[in-house]
Amino acid sequence: MKIVVCIKQVPATNEAKIDPLTKRIVREGLKAVMNPFDAYAVEEAIRLKEKCGAEVIVISMGPEKAQRCLREAVSLGADRAVLLSDRAFGGSDTWATSYVLSKAIEKIGQVDLVICGKQAVDGDTAQVGPGIAAHLDFAQATFVMKVEKVDRRHIRVQRMRENGYDVCDIKLPAVITVVKDINMPRVPTLKGRLASDEIDIPIWRPEDIKADIEKIGLDGSPTRVVKTQPPKARSRKTIRIEGSPQECAKQLAQRLREEDSISGANI
Amino acid sequence: MREHIENKMYHIEILPPKQETENLQEELKLFAEKYNKVLNGGYCACITDNAMGYLAFQGTEIIEHLKLPVFTNQVMIHLNTFHTKADLHNILDSCKSLGIKYLLVVSGDGSERLPKLQPADVNAKGITRSVTAVELLKYIESEYPNDFCLGVAFNPYEPAEHEYEKLDRKLKAGAKFIVTQPIIQKNDVVDKLIDYCSIPVFIEAWMSKKISLLSQAVGYEIPENEQFDPIETLKMLHKIYSQCGAYLSILGFKTQYALIKDIW
Repeated sequence: MKIVVCIKQVPATNEAKIDPLTKRIVREGLKAVMNPFDAYAVEEAIRLKEKCGAEVIVISMGPEKAQRCLREAVSLGADRAVLLSDRAFGGSDTWATSYVLSKAIEKIGQVDLVICGKQAVDGDTAQVGPGIAAHLDFAQATFVMKVEKVDRRHIRVQRMRENGYDVCDIKLPAVITVVKDINMPRVPTLKGRLASDEIDIPIWRPEDIKADIEKIGLDGSPTRVVKTQPPKARSRKTIRIEGSPQECAKQLAQRLREEDSISGANI
Repeated sequence: MREHIENKMYHIEILPPKQETENLQEELKLFAEKYNKVLNGGYCACITDNAMGYLAFQGTEIIEHLKLPVFTNQVMIHLNTFHTKADLHNILDSCKSLGIKYLLVVSGDGSERLPKLQPADVNAKGITRSVTAVELLKYIESEYPNDFCLGVAFNPYEPAEHEYEKLDRKLKAGAKFIVTQPIIQKNDVVDKLIDYCSIPVFIEAWMSKKISLLSQAVGYEIPENEQFDPIETLKMLHKIYSQCGAYLSILGFKTQYALIKDIW
């Protein structure tokens, strides 16, 4: 079985800033991390490898420094990694990005399963996974919370819904996007990290994956970012309440009432 | 542990390299330098476990990888509840095979990227809340009887009644020594602690000039003091708590290390 995991390097979310002119996230000078949802995708692939035997390949589209995330995935147990990096890829929207990733998956060849995090925390679109499935004409299941079983031809997954979950049998090859309920990602060991620092990560350009230049980058992107703004920061503070448990409870209820957090005569 | 106090052996905290580091080799080298310095100085090297929830490499795997010496009486490993059961046993087995005897068992600071021990992992039947240092302590005592000397933390910044209730459970679970959270002056709750229990107490002295970092570490706002002098404070703490051991956090190896020799 051959599994490809698509990962993305994103800014650490509590540090993100928006460029007022371009409306895009300012990535320069920011600490970059693996998209948190992608860590669950990597973990699930490694678990499937440990359970059923598979080759796990991680791919990412981004600047050369995105190699750090790919190495992290290898340190966790992925077999190899490929970086898609070229100025021509810059400015790609989710459709163009999923096109680039799908061309890389085609080049890898004989891929049975593609796993993505449900969304990237910088864009929050959740479109790239389904986009890859559309480009490759693979079956897909999004928001997967559990892989029940997998064999050479099918995968059975639980797909999260608001009030429960669907059980889906999907024919392989397929794309799944995973939510964080699916597993608890492992932490890299020192041995794994040191080994991952030594591996070569090939960099593929548009010509390496036979990408149509008109379908990538800003010009190949059917959508435009019109406006982006950071969410309002939530103010948090700790208030220490002293006294007996009864007094503390009374004071707490009083404070919550004053802040309109609760109402009612029973409190 | 009592001989550590009698022999005036400082406990010196060393932070392993963080997982996110770009310069792992350099940081490993630095870790080894500090570790060897502490051991050669006759002190006890205390290696943290994902301190403040920041993902770091495990002390035992670094010692194994760098083939660092282990003098049983001079190495302490922190162990918190943010591990899988398999990882917990890996760490404990490594400690045992390396000859590490002292473990500081703490609940620890979590992070979204860290797993958490579940009650069933530590045979804590009937517990619905999360696993704390108490359950972990009991579990290590039962699974590795007589292999380790287990210590616990004491937080004088928590409401005293609650902290003493926790301490009672820790003592009952088998704690053999106590390390306080860092203090920078005489502390009434710590005074009471010394009278309260008969096991060795180690006072954690804050060796950084940055009080804001201490506030962050203990989760309680400690007023800024630009005059704060860690070395003078350490001298003062020795005088006040002469019957206790000393645990030094954030010790400056370039400037402060040479000074501590003549203080105690």
